[in-house]
Amino acid sequence: MEMVKDINPTLIKRKGNGQINIKSGNKVDTVVKWTIWVLTALTILAFFFFDYTGLQIQRAISETLYNLRVMFFEPALTHFSWGEAFYQVGITLGLGVLATIFGAIIALFLSLLAAENLSKPWISKMIRVFVAFIRAVPTVLWVLIFAIAAGLGSEAAVLGMLFHSIAYLVKAFSEAIEEVNPGIIEALRSTGSSWWHIVVHGILPSTFTYFLSWTFLRFEINFSVAVAMGAAAGAGGIGFELFMASGFYFDLREVGLITYAILIIAIILEVISTRLKNRYFPSSVKA
Amino acid sequence: MEYVLVNAYSIFPIIQKGVCSMSLLKVEELSKLYDGETRVLKNVSFEANAGEFLSVIGPSGAGKSTLLRCINRMVEISGGKVKFDGIDVGAMKKKELRKLRTNIGMIFQHYNLVPRLTVIENVLHGRFGYKSTLQGVLGRFTEEEKERAFFLLQKLGISEHAYKRCDQLSGGQQQRVGICRALIQEPKLILCDEPIASLDPNSSKVIMDYLKTISTELGITCIVNLHQVEVAKEYADRIIGLKEGEIVFDGPSKVLYRDQIEHIYGIESRELITV
Ligand SMILES: Nc1ncnc2c1ncn2[C@@H]1O[C@H](COP(=O)(O)OP(=O)(O)O)[C@@H](O)[C@H]1O
Ligand SMILES: [Mg+2]
Repeated sequence: MEMVKDINPTLIKRKGNGQINIKSGNKVDTVVKWTIWVLTALTILAFFFFDYTGLQIQRAISETLYNLRVMFFEPALTHFSWGEAFYQVGITLGLGVLATIFGAIIALFLSLLAAENLSKPWISKMIRVFVAFIRAVPTVLWVLIFAIAAGLGSEAAVLGMLFHSIAYLVKAFSEAIEEVNPGIIEALRSTGSSWWHIVVHGILPSTFTYFLSWTFLRFEINFSVAVAMGAAAGAGGIGFELFMASGFYFDLREVGLITYAILIIAIILEVISTRLKNRYFPSSVKA
Repeated sequence: MEYVLVNAYSIFPIIQKGVCSMSLLKVEELSKLYDGETRVLKNVSFEANAGEFLSVIGPSGAGKSTLLRCINRMVEISGGKVKFDGIDVGAMKKKELRKLRTNIGMIFQHYNLVPRLTVIENVLHGRFGYKSTLQGVLGRFTEEEKERAFFLLQKLGISEHAYKRCDQLSGGQQQRVGICRALIQEPKLILCDEPIASLDPNSSKVIMDYLKTISTELGITCIVNLHQVEVAKEYADRIIGLKEGEIVFDGPSKVLYRDQIEHIYGIESRELITV
């Protein structure tokens, strides 16, 4: 291979051994690398400091296996009927649907203001920061915060989930909006269209399928959150029954059955959302 | 090609053939700075008459696109004046600006249609400038407007694609939809930003022929950015040569000679240009 002689040598980054670097070698990479090393070291160290008194490893393993066997190979209902079980699953789904639909509608309007190509820079920044803050706090915490006002129960759960859903969807929606070809917006603007004309006839037709897919994805998340909220915030539904079966009745068979029920719903949702994703998402978002 | 738009006077009753000598657009000492430092346009002055076919040529980065976008104020004007029909564009408020834009159609290199909507929907987008917010949001168009849209599609030979999604059309067909969208605005001026830069030679010729017909038969002024000098010389009545934001040539296409072209494009590109 012919060598290029007159390349400025200061442009080329080299490793300690003189080989040429192809990563830009910025600070982020270094920080990530060190974080992973430190965490690994801490995890290994931690095993030496646990309290192992009274632990008989063999018995622990065999009894855990026994419990798992009862749970998953002999599932049964004892404290409530099948009809009741379906009804409770319905409640959990309902919590998820409520939080998702209201979240999606509110997020749609906010994302129009958050998208840089439709909004003023300061409004867009403000909403982004606000939404990032909401997302940084886990859903459970929001539920507990709303419980102060609404009392523990389904209202607080829906409000908390709604809050977090809005934040999540505003980010997803506004990013989809920003992907819209700027030429479309320019062309509509040049005909004398108003902002709402551009949104309804230029932006929505180009992003609608993404919005649907993201909303469904969020519904999937909200379903699992609703299960957890049933127990943690007394929101009712299948999550609460699971909590009762395990924490109060110690009924492993019932725990097994409820787990299966949740699993089946989760799989159905997953299948639908995968199909939606494959159909409508650009390859960059498919994860 | 001549018979293509013969019937058009019946749908554009405002436009009379006799107004050709009137000055429609007046650009005075126009200058544009994007970030407060680099001057993209410097003291650009010219006039355009009704029905004139004007071409702006120059190397990429010369400021051709910026010049067009100052005329309908898609970008803010930094200095000087743009007068459309005698009214100062730079001083217009939001509402006047919308009205101005209904009078100025725009055609783009990448067509800029909404790909998921049908051809006919995209054409009718040209009417939003005349609509209230609610009318436009609900997509309320009169039967007359819809008929006119079909009429224009037929004139440009794509009426059989009216209900197809725009992303199913070829580039040349999409550009014709773009022309329909501009024409349905009933504009007095059409700005074309490199309308044939993404097209093959055959489609390019079709598009340029249509634009020429629009100016000669409908009396609509066309300002067309081009980077192909030959095309400009073939179609334009008048050529403006832009170099680094300054007008270095302004005159009839016939008198644009080789040395001036070399001056516009810089001496190094001599081999690239075939006249
Ligand atoms: N939105 C913008 N912000 C900053 N600079 C810009 C912007 N648009 C164009 N420019 C600069 O202005 C100059 C002229 O651009 P343009 O008008 O697109 O030229 P042309 O259409 O002749 O290629 C270029 O140097 C370009 O980098
Ligand atoms: Mg350009």
